[in-house]
Amino acid sequence: MPAAPYARSGAPPVSTGRRVRNGAWWGLCAAGFGLVAVPVVWVIAYVVTKAAASWSWSIFTKPVGATYQGLLNTIEGTFLMMVGVALIAGVIGIGTGIWLSEVAKPGALRSILRGASEVLSGIPSIVLGYVGYLALVVNLHWGYSLLPALITLSFLVVPYIAKATELALSQVPLAYREGGEALGMRRTHVLGRIVLRSAIPGISTGLILALAISVGETAPLLYTAGFTSGYWDGAFLGPAATSQMPYLTYATWTFYQVPTTQFKNALPLSFDAALLLMVLVLGLILLARLVVRLTQKYSPERATGISRAALRAAKANRLGSARAAPQA
Amino acid sequence: MSTPDTAPPRPTPAPATSDGSVYLRGNGRALDWATRLLALLPFAALAAILVVLFYEALPAIRFNGFGFLVNRVWSVGSTYGGVSKAGGVLHPFGAKYGAWPIIAGTLETALIAMVVGLPLALGAAVILVEKMPPQLASVAGLVLEVLAGVPSVVIGLWGLLTFGPWMARNIYPAVHAIPIPFLHNQPVGTGEGLLTAGLVLAAMIVPIVAATTRDLLRSVPVATKEGALALGMTDSEAFWSVQARWVRTGVVGAAVLGLGRALGETIAVALCTGSVLQIAQSIFSTTGTIASTVVSQLDSSQSDPTGLAVKSLAEAALVLFLITLLVNVVARMIVRRSARGAALPVGAGF
Amino acid sequence: MHKTPHGGNAAQRVPANRNTRRLGVAGLAILAGSVTTAAVLAPLAGATTGHAASRPSKSSKAKTSTKKKSTGSSLLKQDESKLTALEKGAPSGVTLSETGSTLFYPLFQEWQAVKPLGIAVSPTGTGSGTGQSSALNGTVNIGASDAYLPSTDPATLLNIPIVVSAQQINYNLPGFKPSFHLRLNATILNGIYTGKITNWDNSQIAKINKGTKLPNLAIVPLRRSDGSGDTFIFTSYIDYQAPGGGFVQPDMGGPNTSSTSFPSVPAEQAENGNSGMLSACEKIKGCIAYIGISYRREALASGLGDAALLNGYKKGPQYVVLDPSSIQAEVASYSKIPASGTLSLVDSKSAKGGYPIVNFEYAIVNENQSSSTTAAAIKAFLAWGADPRGGAQSKYLASIGFQPLAANALAVTLPLLQKIGG
Repeated sequence: MPAAPYARSGAPPVSTGRRVRNGAWWGLCAAGFGLVAVPVVWVIAYVVTKAAASWSWSIFTKPVGATYQGLLNTIEGTFLMMVGVALIAGVIGIGTGIWLSEVAKPGALRSILRGASEVLSGIPSIVLGYVGYLALVVNLHWGYSLLPALITLSFLVVPYIAKATELALSQVPLAYREGGEALGMRRTHVLGRIVLRSAIPGISTGLILALAISVGETAPLLYTAGFTSGYWDGAFLGPAATSQMPYLTYATWTFYQVPTTQFKNALPLSFDAALLLMVLVLGLILLARLVVRLTQKYSPERATGISRAALRAAKANRLGSARAAPQA
Repeated sequence: MSTPDTAPPRPTPAPATSDGSVYLRGNGRALDWATRLLALLPFAALAAILVVLFYEALPAIRFNGFGFLVNRVWSVGSTYGGVSKAGGVLHPFGAKYGAWPIIAGTLETALIAMVVGLPLALGAAVILVEKMPPQLASVAGLVLEVLAGVPSVVIGLWGLLTFGPWMARNIYPAVHAIPIPFLHNQPVGTGEGLLTAGLVLAAMIVPIVAATTRDLLRSVPVATKEGALALGMTDSEAFWSVQARWVRTGVVGAAVLGLGRALGETIAVALCTGSVLQIAQSIFSTTGTIASTVVSQLDSSQSDPTGLAVKSLAEAALVLFLITLLVNVVARMIVRRSARGAALPVGAGF
Repeated sequence: MHKTPHGGNAAQRVPANRNTRRLGVAGLAILAGSVTTAAVLAPLAGATTGHAASRPSKSSKAKTSTKKKSTGSSLLKQDESKLTALEKGAPSGVTLSETGSTLFYPLFQEWQAVKPLGIAVSPTGTGSGTGQSSALNGTVNIGASDAYLPSTDPATLLNIPIVVSAQQINYNLPGFKPSFHLRLNATILNGIYTGKITNWDNSQIAKINKGTKLPNLAIVPLRRSDGSGDTFIFTSYIDYQAPGGGFVQPDMGGPNTSSTSFPSVPAEQAENGNSGMLSACEKIKGCIAYIGISYRREALASGLGDAALLNGYKKGPQYVVLDPSSIQAEVASYSKIPASGTLSLVDSKSAKGGYPIVNFEYAIVNENQSSSTTAAAIKAFLAWGADPRGGAQSKYLASIGFQPLAANALAVTLPLLQKIGG
């Protein structure tokens, strides 16, 4: 912890009581963070040690099969669903975000649609899954298969993507749009070339984190995706048995309950799947950070063609005026 | 509905609304309509979910009446004992549905989560913004994001198999010495129950509250902080008189969002509460929430030939929906009233 | 002791099992005729280790296995050839989907591994209720269920007995050897689950366990938090045997898959799934739990004991230990299994040495399938599954403790299978 950046020379002396209170306050805050870090470390350590205890690389080469040999089919299923959600929820979520931020007139319709999206994010995932089951699996006779699972999962994360898009777009200064128009660009071009491009870090972060959420979901899939211990047959709709989708969270959720005297591999697979999920989620989070870092070259300044030197000068200038700020 | 005007591409000046809306109207009509259509989809999905749920729950609502909210017994009845009709609704003998235990369980677990999680989240956010050097803050931010990203089935399994039993052995015996009625000298059990579920939920809402608070604190103007320090305040005094006031309303909004998450969490709670349809006798005993009950009872409910069991679960889901709707509306009202920059914690994921 | 069907005046339908059960008790005369049928079992289940068909009329302590091929064996031959005929009808290249009972699921996995008759099956363990409703609305070909369908379900939905399962009553009492079996009965279990009996040294438990030093230890009753066929047969046992149906009639309105309306007892705990019951019981000294037989080895290995349960044998109730022969004795004692297959194998009261909590594992199948190929595949697969020469061999059943169908049950299964069409 660096000494407070705020110089205290010249300030009136501080009494011991105030010093103690000051120390206690920051101590409490630090303890708060410490306690928050505990479950993170504990969960990771728990999953890693449990998975490592009986780790076998064959989980990457074999499907679950009848005797719990591997996880390859569930990995495949989870990746497929991730791609599907990225497509479906991505299009709907980004479109919704664009509309909310760029197209819609402030008014009743916009606040209703925005509100609906937020309320949607508050619906418990099992309820979403059950409605998906009733409407898609049963009533439309789609059977347990990829498409109902994708649709259910997509609407679970659409609100997050929409919100991230809306926020990212609204943070692009109005001046950029006006600048683009002043140059005679069509508005769609302004949106595509300048506004959206400047918002890429925010949008992709939202999208990636939404994917992280979708990868970790169990409840919406239990009654829509079904499960098969073999490989997926490539069909988007059921009712063929092999059209059911295996996925990683199912393994974690159910395999630990299998009698271990009969299938001794089941319990380890439960933790292997948990570990893979954690790695996947962590990977997605790091990817989001990487995207932010890489796309900073598409930050508003760059997108509008300001030279790097000018940018550096501007930054230096800004830093100079706000030197005291610890979080510039 | 808007009226897409036919004006030529340029002349109309861009309306300078603060958030840049209305900006595209008048040209890019395809984009206008495409995005509008897409924006209608979440609304349509929500409406469809409500219609399906309500339609599904209607016979249960008629059968259960208002007693649903206050009665304590949830019994599918004798599914093998034949059926009879009451108020036009077919039901097995002995069927009665009272959701009060799971409504109470939902509120209690959420309350514990808030009482424990809120201070931790605020403390973490404050130390992260005010005292950590940028590199460390970046790592700390990663910790929060990872916590937000842990799949709920994984955190639930951890709570069930390790965290709960460990707490029951090492911490709860100390806790139950505290002379508070609900707590004092109660049997600590095996670590499955109200308190464990509340603590696990606390861990799950921390990232939501902390990320929002972090963003709010970062939006506090530096000059104001400097002013307080210049007056000779210690930096904690400055924090309480400047930053705390600046972010106050926004934090309330963030807390309510965390509450929404705590109310609706399903899998982790189903694993950690014991998911029984009972009012907890003490803070250590097993209980259930609405969401965990839906997941744990959905299977057996499907063997009720009259379908009333599943319909009553739908009714419970509807009650939960109304509770979360209320929480969301309150959150939106508070967040809207709060200072600009009270961003929803979407970037942090939850 | 046996109660009248509940509901009385308002009952529109009376559960089939109740009628049958009364028949079984009242129609003792028929029993003599059924003895031979039961005896036929022995050769049929030859592969089952330690199996002994019990003959209700004579003494039949295990070992007295009656390998008699008399009048009954023609029936068996006939059934065998019918099974073979169904199995021969297997089409090639079909994959069947299955979902339902988590107790039945491991067996489907064993079967899946060998791909019998060239039929692939893709099983999932979701739960019996899901198995029933998925078969009803056609999302799967086969639903698996521990409990038969309520009579109010559509008649086109068949519940076909495939194998026989049982339930153990486990307890965690330190110092008791696994070979020792504490005696328990429905009255005591009812007392425990209603909070009237709270300690292991209770006088009622001591009275039936003379010579056993019972610990002064609080009883922690465990029950399932999720819905379950295990809860159904457990509550059936209490309902049939405890005076007045114990807590089952007043609190639940009859045996039920859902334990949500169990009486509230301060010490009790609810657990998710058989594995949840097992792992909790391992941790809690003094616990008692009802757990499916698939978990028997695991339970014994982890130091839990399993109780000898009182059956209601009419010539003098007996405390019976769960083993293959006591399961078979119970199944064989049912003189008349309804053609619909709906029967609780809970305490027939006419099985000497019969273990009182036994149940069929059912395949729930819609009799109208989408195509004749699918129908043929389902018929062939399930016929193979129920066939003691096929999927019901001990090499598949042994690790989960299931038993093959007795001849009397197979005689019900066959016509049900033949009803499946497409």
